Amino acid sequence: MPPEIVYTPDSLLRRPRFLLWTMWHDLLSSRELAWRLMVRDISAQYRQALLGIAWAFIPPIATALGFTLAKDANVFTVGETDIPYPAYVMFNTALWQTFVDAATGPVQAILLAKPMLARVNFPREAIVLAKLGEVIFNFGIKLVLIVGLFLYFRVPLSWTVILAPVALIHLILLGTLVGVLLAPIGVLYQDVLKSLNMIMGFWLFLTPVIYPVPTEGLFGALVSWNPVTPLIVTIRELATTGVLSRSVGFWVVSGCTLLGLMVTWIGFRIAMPYVVERVTS
Amino acid sequence: MLLNTQHQSTSEDLPKGLPVISVEGVSKKFCRDLKRSLFYGIQDIAADFAGGRQHSDRLRPKEFWALQSVSFQLYPGQAVGLVGSNGAGKSTLLRIISGLIKPDTGKVRIRGRLAPLIALGAGFNPILTGRENIFANMSILGLTTRQIRQRFQDVVEFAEIEEAIDSPVQTYSSGMAARLGFACAIYTEPEILLIDEVLAVGDARFKAKCYRRLYELRQKGVAFILVNHNSQSILNICDTAIYLSRGSLMAYGEVNTVIDQYEADLFLTGTERSENRLTFPARLPQESTGIDIRALFFRDAQGEPTQTLLTGEPLSFCLTCESHSSYSGVTFDLRIVKVGGEDSVGNVLTIRGQTDQAFFQISPGLSELQLNLPYLGLSPGTYAAQVRLRKDSIYTFEIVESFRFSVVAHCDVNKCQFYQPRTWTLVPAN
Repeated sequence: MPPEIVYTPDSLLRRPRFLLWTMWHDLLSSRELAWRLMVRDISAQYRQALLGIAWAFIPPIATALGFTLAKDANVFTVGETDIPYPAYVMFNTALWQTFVDAATGPVQAILLAKPMLARVNFPREAIVLAKLGEVIFNFGIKLVLIVGLFLYFRVPLSWTVILAPVALIHLILLGTLVGVLLAPIGVLYQDVLKSLNMIMGFWLFLTPVIYPVPTEGLFGALVSWNPVTPLIVTIRELATTGVLSRSVGFWVVSGCTLLGLMVTWIGFRIAMPYVVERVTS
Repeated sequence: MLLNTQHQSTSEDLPKGLPVISVEGVSKKFCRDLKRSLFYGIQDIAADFAGGRQHSDRLRPKEFWALQSVSFQLYPGQAVGLVGSNGAGKSTLLRIISGLIKPDTGKVRIRGRLAPLIALGAGFNPILTGRENIFANMSILGLTTRQIRQRFQDVVEFAEIEEAIDSPVQTYSSGMAARLGFACAIYTEPEILLIDEVLAVGDARFKAKCYRRLYELRQKGVAFILVNHNSQSILNICDTAIYLSRGSLMAYGEVNTVIDQYEADLFLTGTERSENRLTFPARLPQESTGIDIRALFFRDAQGEPTQTLLTGEPLSFCLTCESHSSYSGVTFDLRIVKVGGEDSVGNVLTIRGQTDQAFFQISPGLSELQLNLPYLGLSPGTYAAQVRLRKDSIYTFEIVESFRFSVVAHCDVNKCQFYQPRTWTLVPAN
């Protein structure tokens, strides 16, 4: 006889041990489903496109090309970067895009899965995990491009590059934190998805993606208080120079991210039944 | 009005063991105002996150009870039908049982794997092939890749899409996609199946196959909850039924009793049902669509009203109607299905007045339309007829969804699907 499942109106927080156990259990049991969903989404993504997988390369190339041309024409001036500018922009854009994907992915995925959520009770974590897998897959494709570019510009690599993936995971987790936090509200109110693109656009300006980290003025302060800054800077430094300029910021942000993600996850679990109830009654 | 015949009628043949589903005093409130509903949603989330909702048993402004204090049990191998008009709370109840939404009061206990047949083709992506979609869909329904591999061939065979399995689902006909969805859901092999009006997929032959499969599953001890507007399918499959009206449990117990009550409430008040006879009250002209059905009954060979229908004997099906004005081209259609048993799928007999060119001129007042059968060909059993009173071939005055009657036999019709009128003769051979 399988274990008894009880549905009551009481808050799950009243049964913390049960809550943590189900979270763990659902995470484990959603691996296979997440894999399926990821395979489904990735194969569907490129199948109906004439250029297929080339679409993974085209946007970062276009961005890097645009910024490099603009910089060469002195449309804007940026300080000295430790690696050649095209490689710098391309690498940072790939990292930033990965963060944006991780943040908007869960919101979009949950919205898209609405009909499914309203009918089948499957571990909701699977949708988020599938999206995470897709984010990593997309980064992997961009990585091919970055490696090519680094070889072309003969950018020296440091041995610390093997630690870069760890830092990259922290960046993705920070994005996921934002995404999971907004996903349930995003299903209820369309304002979330609409404002998310705008916020991400503004956030990009405050992140050292197309310029090196500024040190002076209000702008410099804003950039250094931006939680994405230490993560992106650290990943780049681990990969190239091996000298970390923002290691304290990195660990503070990473710690907060892990803690925040746990709390957000609990919130997500609590919120989903109410969200499902409101969208399809 | 609560009718609980559960304990009296089924206590002796009640399946052993614990119930697979036990619903204890479940209530759920909803709000019809969208903005307010979304706001309440946020409010509930915040309250829950703060440790629990206060007064979840009270209505806030503009809320109503979609379900109120519903309780019942479902045992292994039992099939319960859920009937009620639109908005009675049937789907809400199913969604609470499947754990999609939380009850506002009460408790639901589930023992066993539960599969919703509500979600045909959940997660189907039209661009991907049938094969890929089977894997995605069945894993949403909770199967591991290994289990899916094992059942893959069965699913494809059941859905009858062998030749199209590697084509994108968007090239499938709607029937094929529906068949694939049904096959995926039914091969998850759960202990409890929730079926929400999905048996309308595919053609009659596939529908029959679905019913047969459901019958097999029930023999294996799978418990069902079946939601259907059509009380005939409920009568076919279920042994118990639950009748919900505006969120309240009106009746719960033996299927015939509950369906009788549901149908009595569904028709106008004042409808009288006796064996093989149905009488309806008169309507005011402004409530009428032109002609109202007032009674459905039978007459025997002598033209006398009868309540005993005998296989092989002459019989007339009579329809008394009241017209509020003059109409020409009036006729009726009769669709008869058998109730109960495994082979009871699809129409047993369909008679259309239009096909027989049986059009009548009706003048105001009461008239009786008679369909005369020189021999009643139906074998003994219970039947349900849908009666449709129409004008020409387009306009329908009124439909009686389910007029149930039973047929008995004096002659020997064992091992017969129907009665064959016959004579025997001996002629000299040359």
